[in-house]
Formats: sequence, C-alpha cells, structure tokens
Amino acid sequence: MTRWIGEGIDSLEEIDARVIAPIVAPRLTWRWWLAFAFSGSLTLLMIGTVTWLFVHGIGIFGNNTTIVWGFPIANYVWWLGIGHAGTLISALLLVTRQKWRGSLNRFAETMTLFAASMAGLFPIFHLGRPYYLYWIVPYPNVQGLWPQWRSALVWDLWAVGTYITFSALFWYAGLIPDLALLRERAKTRLARRIYGVFALGWRGSLKHWEVHTRFYRYMAALAVPLVVSVHSIISLDFAASLEPGWSDTIYPPYFVVGALYSGFAMVVVLAAALRWACSFEPFITVNHFEMIGRVLLMASIIMGVSYASEWLWSWYGGERPERHLVAFLFTGPYAPLYYCQLLFNVVVPQALWFRRVRSNIAAVVIISIVINIGMWLERILIVWATLSRDYLPSAWRIFLPTFWDWALLFGSLGAFMFLFMLFVRVLPALPAHELRKLWIEERGA
Amino acid sequence: MSSLTGSALDRRSALKLLAAGMAATMARCSRPSEEIVPYVDMPEGLVAGEPMRFATTLTLGGHGRGFVAVAVDGRPVKIEGNARHPFSLGATDIFAEAQVLSLYDPERSGAVAGRGTTWHAFAQAWTRATRDPSGLALFTGRVTSPTTLVQIDALMKRFPGLRRYRSEPIHDDAARAGSRLAFGRVVEALPRWADADAILVLDGDPLGNGPDQLRIARAYSTRRGGKRQRIHVAEPAWTLTGAAADFRIALAPGEVREVARKIANDLGAGLGEPQLSDAARKFATRASAELRAAHGRALVLTGEGQGAELHALCHWMNARLAAPVDAFPSQDPVAGDHVGEMTAFANDLHAGRIRTLLIADANPAYDAPDALHIPAGIAKVPFSAHIGLYVDETAQACTWHLPLSHALESWGDARAPDGTASIVQPLIRPLHQTRTCDEYLAWFATGKPASAHALTRAAWQASDRNWRQMLSDGAVANTAAKPITVSVARVPDLPRAGSGRGLVLRIAPDPSLGDGRHANNAWLQECAKPFTRQVWGNAVQIAPEDAQRLQIADEGTVDVTLDGRTFAAPAVIVPGQAEGVIAVTLGHGRLAAGRIGTAVGARVCGLSFARTLSGAAVAKSADSLPFRSLQAHTRLEGRAEDLFQISGAHEHEPNEPGLDEPPPSILPTPQRGEYAWAMLIDTDACIGCNACVVACQAENNVPVVGPEEVSQGRDMHWLRVDNYALSHNGALRHGFEPVPCMHCELAPCEPVCPVAASVHDHEGLNVQVYNRCIGTRFCEANCPYKVRRFNWFDYSGDQAYAEQGPALEQQHNPDVSARGRGVMEKCNYCLQRVSRARKTAEKESREVADGEMVTACQAACPTRAIHFGNLNDAQSDVSRRRRAPRHYTLLAELNTRPRTTYLKRVFNDGEDT
Repeated sequence: MTRWIGEGIDSLEEIDARVIAPIVAPRLTWRWWLAFAFSGSLTLLMIGTVTWLFVHGIGIFGNNTTIVWGFPIANYVWWLGIGHAGTLISALLLVTRQKWRGSLNRFAETMTLFAASMAGLFPIFHLGRPYYLYWIVPYPNVQGLWPQWRSALVWDLWAVGTYITFSALFWYAGLIPDLALLRERAKTRLARRIYGVFALGWRGSLKHWEVHTRFYRYMAALAVPLVVSVHSIISLDFAASLEPGWSDTIYPPYFVVGALYSGFAMVVVLAAALRWACSFEPFITVNHFEMIGRVLLMASIIMGVSYASEWLWSWYGGERPERHLVAFLFTGPYAPLYYCQLLFNVVVPQALWFRRVRSNIAAVVIISIVINIGMWLERILIVWATLSRDYLPSAWRIFLPTFWDWALLFGSLGAFMFLFMLFVRVLPALPAHELRKLWIEERGA
Repeated sequence: MSSLTGSALDRRSALKLLAAGMAATMARCSRPSEEIVPYVDMPEGLVAGEPMRFATTLTLGGHGRGFVAVAVDGRPVKIEGNARHPFSLGATDIFAEAQVLSLYDPERSGAVAGRGTTWHAFAQAWTRATRDPSGLALFTGRVTSPTTLVQIDALMKRFPGLRRYRSEPIHDDAARAGSRLAFGRVVEALPRWADADAILVLDGDPLGNGPDQLRIARAYSTRRGGKRQRIHVAEPAWTLTGAAADFRIALAPGEVREVARKIANDLGAGLGEPQLSDAARKFATRASAELRAAHGRALVLTGEGQGAELHALCHWMNARLAAPVDAFPSQDPVAGDHVGEMTAFANDLHAGRIRTLLIADANPAYDAPDALHIPAGIAKVPFSAHIGLYVDETAQACTWHLPLSHALESWGDARAPDGTASIVQPLIRPLHQTRTCDEYLAWFATGKPASAHALTRAAWQASDRNWRQMLSDGAVANTAAKPITVSVARVPDLPRAGSGRGLVLRIAPDPSLGDGRHANNAWLQECAKPFTRQVWGNAVQIAPEDAQRLQIADEGTVDVTLDGRTFAAPAVIVPGQAEGVIAVTLGHGRLAAGRIGTAVGARVCGLSFARTLSGAAVAKSADSLPFRSLQAHTRLEGRAEDLFQISGAHEHEPNEPGLDEPPPSILPTPQRGEYAWAMLIDTDACIGCNACVVACQAENNVPVVGPEEVSQGRDMHWLRVDNYALSHNGALRHGFEPVPCMHCELAPCEPVCPVAASVHDHEGLNVQVYNRCIGTRFCEANCPYKVRRFNWFDYSGDQAYAEQGPALEQQHNPDVSARGRGVMEKCNYCLQRVSRARKTAEKESREVADGEMVTACQAACPTRAIHFGNLNDAQSDVSRRRRAPRHYTLLAELNTRPRTTYLKRVFNDGEDT
C-alpha cells in the first residue's frame, strides 16, 4: 500500500511543528528574498500597467477593430482554469476518498483563491469603461435598468462570483482547525489574537469534529458540480455566439477538462516549490507527483481528443468559415503558436506514460510548466483565430500584441506568486489536522 | 467704466457691462455681415439648432461645382449636393465633403507672415516693390471665376508689364494638345455618357475623381437598368472606370495605343498594322465591332496618361462614330499649356526676369518637378507674396504670405467645365484675419480695399431679384456654353511604343488626396483608396509578374529610380495591373502641409509633369516604410454566394418562391412598428468613389484615428467600401460593396450585450446607447459583418488626429453626440435624420413619404446606389427593389435577417448585347 507520508515523521507533534514552521520559525534565506523581490517587482509592474491602462484607455493593448478581444480575455480564462483545479482537486478527492489529497488541498485551494482573484480582475481591465462594471450587477436604480440577462457575460459574473465566494468558504472551513493550532503556537500576543478570532473558538471537541467533518463533506459534494457548471458557463462566453470556431457544443466539457488540466499542472509547480522551500518532503512525496502525473496524462488525452473532434466537426459540418478556420490555424500566421499548443498540451505529456518520468519530480514540473504555456496558447488562440478569420474576408486582420499586453500577463503572474509567498508566511500551507489523521491511519493502526 | 472691485458698480455700469458681454458673445462666430440667401426653404429667422441650407460653390482644380452647405447656428457642418447644378446633380465627392473639415483646420493660416506680421507692413512693402512695376508676375492655378478674371484684367491694366502664369498640378495638357491637333483649337469635350450604348475607354478614368465625375457617374448609373451599355476599358492600372467596365484588359500604355490603332483602322484610319497580343486583339476586335454597330451611340475616351496623338485620334474616332460628345470652349482663358507655363515661370525666375511675384492660391514649390528648382527660383525674387490657405512649401519660399479665406467664408464665383457659373457664398464670417483672392487682387490693382461681395456683384451686374435667384439656385441660369461645332481635319498619326528599357511609371492623381492640396485634411488622409484600401500614404503598385521577377514582397519597401531621381515607398502587388507598369499616386510627401499632411507618403510630382514615364527601375529598399491599409484581404475565399453576388445581364428569373421566407429562429421575431426602415445598396451602381464614407464621417462626427492607430488595425468608419477581387468569366474584376450596419432584425450583437446598450428601436433600427455602453466589445466580436467601431482611445477628444483645438469641434453635427473613450459605436442609419423626418411628418399629421428620409451616404452617392425607405410600405422604393431578382443578403445563411441588403453586381459581358 502506498504511503502518502514519507519517512522521518515520528510523531503528531512533529507534523504540527513542520507544518507551521514557515510561519513561526521561517528560514528567510537570500533565495526567499530574491524570489520575494522578483514577484514584488512584477506586482509593481502590474500596478503600473493598470494605472497606465486607466489613464490612457484600453487602446494601449494590441486589440483592433476586428480582434476586439485579446489578452485580458485569454488571461481571464487561463487564470480561471487554474483557479478551478484547487477546489475541484480538493473536493473531488475528498468525495472519492483519495487519501493523498491531504497534502495538496490547502495550497491548491489557496491557489484557487488567488488565481480566481487574478482572473476576476481581467474582465475589469478588459472593459472600455471599467468604472461602470457595476452596471452588470442588478441593483435598484432610478432608470429601472437591469442587466441584459441573455448575455453570457452576465451569467459569467454570477458564475465567477459564486465560485469565488464558495471557494473562499470551503477554504476557510478547512482552515479552522489549523487556525486553532496557530492560536496556540503563535509567538506574539497579537498573532494569537488574530488567529484566535478566525479560529472561531475551535476547541477540537468531538462535537466540533463531527460538525466540521459533515459540513466539509457537504461542501465538497456541492463543490464538484459547481466547478463543472462554472467553467461550462465561462465557455458560453464563446459558445453562445455565432462565430466560427466558437459556437460549438463541445465547449463546456472542453473548457472544464482544460481547466482541470492547467490547474493540476499549476499544482505540480506549486507543490514542488513548497516542498523545496518549506522542507515539506515528508508530506509531498514522489508518490504525489506520480499520481498527479497520471491525472495529467489522462487530461492530455482528453484534450487531444477534443482538438481532433474540432477538426472533425468543422470538416464534417461542411461550413466554409469553420473549415477555413481550421486551415488557418494550421497554415496561417498563428500556426507556430498552434503547433506549440498541440505539442505542449498533447504530445509532450505523453512522456508521463513512463513511471520513470512520473517519479522524477523535475520532469513532472517541466512538463507541467510546458502544459501551462500550452494552455495559455490555447486560450489566446481561441480568441485570436476566430476573430482574425470570421465571416467577412474584408475584415480579416492579425493581432499584434503590445508591451502592455505582456506586462499585464507577467505582472499578474508576479502578483500571484507574491500573494502565494505571503500566504505561506501567515497560514499553514498544508492542513496539519488532515495530515495528523492520515499519519494515524497509516502508522498508528 | 467703473471699477468692478470697488463698490461703485451702479445700475448703469452693470447694464453697460451686460450689454458689452452680450455684444461680445454675438460678435463671435457670427453669420457673415453681408446678406446671403438661403436655399429653397427660407426660414423667417434663424431657429436655434435648425439647420439652414445655402447653395454655394466649391472648386476642384479651378472648376466650380455647386453644392449646398448646411449650417447650424451659423456654423457650416456639412456639404450636400445641389440637384440644380449640372456638375453636382445632388451628389458630392470626397473633396467637397471634406471641405467642411478644412474650414475649421486650426492650422489654416490666419495672419500675414513673412517680413512682417501686419497688413500695414505688407502694404508698405508692396508699394515699395511696385514703384518699379517691371518684373511683376502673377502665378495662379486654373481660374474660371468671372470675378477673379475681372480682377486679373484690372491688375494687368494697372501693371501693363505683368507676366501671368497659370499651371495646375492635375493638368489637361494632353487633352488640350490633342484637341488642338484634331480641331486646331482647345475645346472641352464632354461626353454625354448616358447616350452611349458602347463605350471604349483607352487608358482614361472618366468615372474617377475630377470635376466631371459626378455628372458622368450619374449618367453611368442611369444606364445600369433597362438597355445596358457595354463598357470596354484598356488600361495599365486599375481605375474606377476599369472596375466598372464590362470588358477590361490590362495593357501597358504603348499597347493601349495599338488597340486604338486597330480600332481606328477598322474605322478607316489606315494607320499601319497594329502590334497586338492575342488577348489584346480579341479585346480590340470585340470593342471595334460593338462601337461600329452602335454608330451614333458609341463613344471613345482617353486620359491624361496618353499623349496628344491618342487624344486627337479619339476625337477622330468619335467623329467617325458620330459619338455623343459635346465640345465646349475651354473655360480656362489662358492659352498656354500648364507644363509650358510652369517651365516658362521657372525659366523667368532663374533668369531674373521676375522681380515682384504674386502667387495666388497655388503651390508651385511642391507641385513642380524638382528639375525646375522652383523654390530656389522664388528665393531669388526680392519681393514674393504667396496667397494661400496654408503656410505651405511655396509660402516658405516667398518673402510674404497672405492668408486666404476658405471658400465657405468667401464671396466669389466659378464656372463648371461646360461654362455653368455659380456663386460662392459664405456661410460664416472668416474665422481668421483672411481675405479672398478677389479682395487681394482688387487691392493690388486699385490700392483700395474692396469687399468680395461687392466685387462679385459688380462682376455679375445682376438685379437684386436675379442675384437672389442666382444665390438660392446655386447655378446661374443660362450660363452653360453652347456646344460648338468642331470638325477633325485629318487622321492624326499615332506613335509606336518605343522599345523602352525598364518599367513604365504611371503617375495618377491620388484617389483620396488628388494633387495633395488638401493633404492636411485628416478625413481625406484616412479615406481608403478604392483598390489597395491604403490610407495615410501612397504605394508603388506593381503587377504580380513584375514583383516575382524583381523579388519584391507585397508591402515591402522599394526604391523607384527614374532618370537619376529616387523615391522610396511601400510596394503593393496588384493583380490585374499591366505587366511592365508600376503605378503611383500624386499628392503625398508634402513638405509643409501641416501637422497632419506633412511627410505622409512619397512625393512623386518632383519627378516629372508627365503621367507616363518610361525607364523606371524598382529595387528593394533598405528602408522600411509602413503600408497602412484598412483591408488586408480582397479575395472572396470561394464564398461569393455569401459575400458578393454577380449576375449576368440577362438574368431576369425571379427569386424562387419561398426563398425570401427567412428560416425559423429560436429568437423572438421583433414586432414591426409604424416604420420599418431598410437600406438597399446596388453594388452594380457603386463605382467605389468613397463619397459615402466621407459624408458619413461628416454627418456622424466620426473621428479620425491616425496612421499609428491604423497600423494597429483600428479605424472608425461607420461605413466602409469593401473591395473584392472577383473572377468572372475567367477575368479578374473588382466589386465594391459598401458595408454599413446591417440593422439585423435578429441582431447577434443584442443578446450578447450585458447591459443592453445594443438594442432595437420601434422602427427596426439596431441602435447603440453610448451612455449605457461599458465597452465589453462582445457585440463586435459577435457581429459577423464587423461593422462596429470601438473608441480604443478618446478619438474624438484628445487624440492628435482628431481635435487639435476647439475650432474643430465646431464642425460637429450638433444632432449627433460625440462618443467618449471606451464606447462602441456604429452606423445608425442617420438616426438624427430619421427622427427629423418623423417629427416633420408628425407636425403635418402625415406619414413620412417615400424618399423623404435620406441618409447622409445616400445623399452623397453620385450613382444613387443607396436606397432607403420603409419596408412596411410595399410600394416604397426599397420594398420594390427588394423583390428584384438581383436582390441578395450578405451572409444570408446566418439568418440575421439584415435590413441592409444588396443588389447583385452585373457584368454585361455575354456574347450578345
């Protein structure tokens, strides 16, 4: 039987100590400060870009008359895809009683929150008049104006809003016992106060555990369909149009699997980073990477089938714009990007068939990074290709990204990293209480 | 006046101040001080916000064309056609439409400049300079204005030794020389296009820009229904006439002459054996047979790219064919040719024969070939004064610059090519300290200031009653010259094409800028050239065969060398251009046009006056110059049935029954209100002249985005004229398809907008609520026609190419709101006009009559290709035309049910007529 907690852990106290060590006894090496400075400066770049954006208008991006959508939409979908994995992994593995979730769920859920927050910003940056974003929200006003309910963008708002709210609650619910632990172990009086307030008076009584376990399972059972529905709705931003390449019924499942795929890949990257930076080797083992490698492999095959089915149906459907679009992807100016997408998302992950690759953490991390790049390419090409080649040839154009497009993308990556580094310093990146339970199950029996 | 800070402000002082303030307010931008007479509907007084219409005249290369200028609250905001003027016929062209922007151009010169900045300083200098009147010279462009000619005569009387030069950059020297060769005198030969059944155009462009365009275009469209005429065109590079042709062949200028030789021989000229390729022979044989078959109703035309001999031969052929051509005495009284006059001017400058120089509304420093060294010549002249709208190249070379009033601020007159005179009347008091050309010339002649109004009235000697009639009509009755009878003495000889080395360079007036005098007009700079759709610059057009041979990439930069002179420009590969010919347009590369027009594109007028030059070489350039185009793809990608439909001339089968029934939709069918507005565009009538595009821009306050933004792929035109390369019966053709908003009944933009900014109104218009728009751009993403335009920046506010000051805001149509940053906009069928028509009808308790509601694009269209009306009325013009067999819908299979639909392009190239 696979053990999910590695050697070197001899007691429950040791689990607690190691899990909260980054908070109460951090090792602030120069590497940490370097990474912190790097992500911090990218965050500043993002803030600067957004300031420039609000001052000058969205003309600073590369969008044009034909390709009216660009990086913000692709970034939004990409970040939201990553955001979907955390809650999905956590809830799905809980519902299916996969023990190995214990090492991953906390930081994966945190990743969800931060990634969804990044995603949530992009529609605002995308808007021509961001200060009127609230007009999408139904609120009483003297004109009696409501949102236009048939628009997929309104559905989007509710889907993302629901998702972020739910993810935050789910994350917080799982965090409560660990907050209580920090309340006991924090060094300063102020920290103990703060952790204490958020621990909601958790005493670890049996009654508490009984309510908590039940509540947490119900949340998980709700989360799984929610995640599926949310990313399905995001896909309707494209599918509920009449543009070639967008108005496909395959979009909802295609987007959900894509979200899972990129999310798992990001989990791998974060897991490897945490394992190394916080000495979590006993908790995040090679077995975990091996397991995620299998999931990635499965998802890559589904992605491949999805791509192939797009080609098949555009050929079988016989509509010239659809057929032309597929030919354009393979032969047009974006073709190098499209080949990269196929290579990164479908071909490279096939290496995971081999156990030796799956058991090599560096290899899995590299493949995961490649997958994340591939998934971003997929999202930008969904936006670019269709709009570059829709119905009227006279309107065909090509998208030329500007500095600000890239600045905002990399700025958001930096901001995500920055937030994550802060998180590791203030909250336990692994669920101590779940690891304790797992250890007892594995060793104590 | 008592101090405002003290407490002594009594009632009288307060009233005084109030009155002074009111007077100051009223004095600003008021109507002209002299009486002017409104067109047709004379309101009893100026009603605030109500447009007033005044007939006036705008010139193109000196030729007058009557238009109607619309003023709101004393501000001219729009130029419309004048149906009573024979060279407008109710339509406009891009140059006329754009004048209203030039009027408010903040860079127009407004003050005396040079060795002093005051009138007084200039007057003293002038008096000193003319103490010795020898060496006095006057340089003008083409002048047809009777009033100006009176002033020039007076000036010549006052200074008998005055040398007068006249040269126009877009000249007609070949036509003048040709008519001298044929008739022994210069005549203006104007074709009666509508009376011709068979037309052969040998390297000419009668449908292209020019003073006669609107008249010929209207005649062209009247012959698109009923018994159609057949148009044969042989030309080296695409022209609007070539695109309109039923048969077109691309031939080098020398080969065109061989075609002419063949046809002339068939008419009995006996000019020797023509040297023709098989394709050219086939073309010539067919054209020749059809011309002869249509004796009395056949017409042969040529253009400035060809020499005097071919012009003369065309006169001879027209005489043999009894062609419907009227000969008029030239309205240009100067006997010399334009090139000769410019050369004489240069020679006299360099020889020091000119000591005192006046240049009136002309720009020889830019227009003349470099070999003449005009700027250096002018610099030698001790006293030179330039009268012009801008401090341009010539003004910089002169010692003085005098600001000229814009036509919309001036009194004056001009004659059309047939002699029809019309009055220029001002709509506004001059915005700056400017005077008209007549005022300056009169002052030079008499030394006393005179008002242009008085000068014009004096020139016409009309009674008050007649004068008012002249003003309100916009064309002076019975001033058209009587056609004269001319006869061709002999068959002119036709030179063979020399075995010239290198490529033939064709220089043509620019379809958007003409000769470049309006280069500082951003509307014209951003008006896409019909075939290349290029904006903000010119390009070297090259045939695909030559490009392949010379390894020149499409949109790559090339150096063109001719006689040791070189210019660099982007190359654009144009299928359907004659092999061995490269074509480039004038009007670009201005050195001192203003912030908008300076250094845009390549200056080619410096090469030569000639329109056809041989011995040019093209090579890849080390430079990289941008090619900016609004349309990158002109191929139909095998989807002609969805995009641009073609019909034969004899297809009269009605649409299949049931075909008009739209397929079912899950979307609710919108209810029709009292009116169901619809537009119908006849692609067969459209000649691609772009007048509608600029008219739309003027009417709807559509901003200009500038070259940088165009390079980013952005533009703001609500109406664009798509150009498609068509393959019909094995020949390459071009089809023009104006695309405004389709106003779909099941509009894809509406359900996707999250805030309901894109909605349907009760008359079936798909309207955009700017104030509600938050800028998600989902509407444009989901628009299959891509007709929506987004304000990526504050284009109508702070951008470099939009508003350069408060002056330009005055051009804005007050009925249309200016759109801010981050807002989507698009064609709304001139909603403000719909609303006005509805209100007028409601006041009179009736329905809006068919044809009463006219959109701006429709009003401008010289071929009446755009129709607009109410679909609820089964007998309306639009309803009837929608039932025609030629009717089609753009992307019909999407079931968007557009209100804008089209009529098919027809090529009358079947074997029998």
